[in-house]
Amino acid sequence: MSPDRTSVSRTLVPDPVAIRIEELRKSFGDLVVLDGVSLDILQGKTTAILGPSGCGKSVLLKHIVGLLRPDSGHVWIDGIDMAIATPEEKLQVRKRFGMLFQHGALFEDLTAGENIAFPLRYHTRLTAAQRRARAQEVLELVEMPELHDRPTSALSGGQRKRVALARAIVLEPQVVLFDEPNSGLDPMTSTTIDDLILRMKERLGITFVVITHDIVQAVRISDWVGMLWQGRLVAYAPLPVFLHSEHPIVRRFLSRTL
Amino acid sequence: MSLLPGLARFGRFLGQIVWSTVSNPLPVGRALEEAHRIGVNSLPILLVVSVFVGTNLSVQGASAFSTIHAERYVGMFVALAGVREMAPIMVASMVAAKAGTEMASQIAVMRIQEQIDALEVMAIDPYWFLITPRLLGILLVLPALTMISIFTLVVSAYGVAITQLGLDGHTFLEQATATTHAMDLVYCAVKAFVFGLVICVLSCYHGFTSGAGASGVGRATNAAVVMAAVSCAILNYLLSELLFG
Ligand SMILES: Nc1ncnc2c1ncn2[C@@H]1O[C@H](COP(=O)(O)OP(=O)(O)O)[C@@H](O)[C@H]1O
Ligand SMILES: [Mg+2]
Repeated sequence: MSPDRTSVSRTLVPDPVAIRIEELRKSFGDLVVLDGVSLDILQGKTTAILGPSGCGKSVLLKHIVGLLRPDSGHVWIDGIDMAIATPEEKLQVRKRFGMLFQHGALFEDLTAGENIAFPLRYHTRLTAAQRRARAQEVLELVEMPELHDRPTSALSGGQRKRVALARAIVLEPQVVLFDEPNSGLDPMTSTTIDDLILRMKERLGITFVVITHDIVQAVRISDWVGMLWQGRLVAYAPLPVFLHSEHPIVRRFLSRTL
Repeated sequence: MSLLPGLARFGRFLGQIVWSTVSNPLPVGRALEEAHRIGVNSLPILLVVSVFVGTNLSVQGASAFSTIHAERYVGMFVALAGVREMAPIMVASMVAAKAGTEMASQIAVMRIQEQIDALEVMAIDPYWFLITPRLLGILLVLPALTMISIFTLVVSAYGVAITQLGLDGHTFLEQATATTHAMDLVYCAVKAFVFGLVICVLSCYHGFTSGAGASGVGRATNAAVVMAAVSCAILNYLLSELLFG
């Protein structure tokens, strides 16, 4: 990634779009969760999606990776519409994606290291020793080098998040999706996670999509911020613009925490 | 859930298992692990139950036939009832209760903790990863467990017949082997195979479709074992008609 990120170059050269979401609609029975959401997620940028809990943030994320099928609308990734993609096409997209689930979704009967090495086992030709070494390397990246042989069931909440983060990036994905990386964490651990995201973006040039209800985190890490409210994206702008948005919901969200 | 959409969903689930199993490499190592685990977990209880079902078949057989002075048919009774009917369904019930509930609850927990979603996002087929090894494992081990149960049951029935009931051992064995043949054991293996399929598929299905929370896992596990036991009982009748009828 180019270190040059002046606002001039940003306005003159439009950033390439990594994910284009068009008019996404999804209901569960009578419950309308997404009611026409459109947004472009830019490559190499960190995009935060804010919103109160239960507003459909996780549902939006699951549409991006094709875990849910929308009632209508599109999710374009590299010319593939995840809304109607074949299993092979989804596979192709997912191999370049990493995802951190809200509660980690780690396999409980494996150690932390085995969880991290898990994708390597199925998507690389590395030997067991090489996989182990790579898992250790990524654990060091998330600043938890001592956890390698710890059973997953013995990990604390913050440790789980970091191990899950390590698993999400072990294959060096181009896009990483986070579902509430800070939920349930103390402020100090939250800050560490934010710093990790910032560092990985710089070092690995990853496109991050971060779902959060934590405005502080959004401000610290994101380039673009969107606000999801009652099934719609009521604001979506670069961070400085977003912070001065006049939208009443955005103002309410900002006034609460800042 | 209404019947037709439910059946359609189940049908898709079955299709997906078949497709995922044939279009991916066979997980031989993990299937053997599953077989080993199911076998080791179920064997002790199975042996105990088989012994005591065998004893009672002899006792009840003797008490029924003694009214017409035909105790010599106890061997035949044990062979027909014990080998053909009791052993396969007994093994199926035991394995449904132990391995089936374990499959359902493990998979249900993985579902509600989003581990199954995580597998999909990691581009690993969850049907192949979670169901195929369990299916192959149970198909391997259930016929073997059934044979062990048959042997145990017959030996214990024989023991009771000659010691407690004072029957003639030679007659017992003669009667038993006159009514059952090698083919009967093959048919028992067929039954076991079908029961294994039913237990695994139903348990995994309920796990995969589990509702949220601890209560969802509980309901899924409960539904799995009830459905598996009932289905096996009904199939046992149909298969007996088909194979031995
Ligand atoms: N698979 C599902 N079936 C039915 N309702 C769902 C499902 N997934 C999410 N919902 C509902 O959709 C709404 C949004 O959920 P979610 O996206 O998880 O919220 P959040 O913004 O807190 O992540 C909630 O009301 C939730 O109950
Ligand atoms: Mg959520």
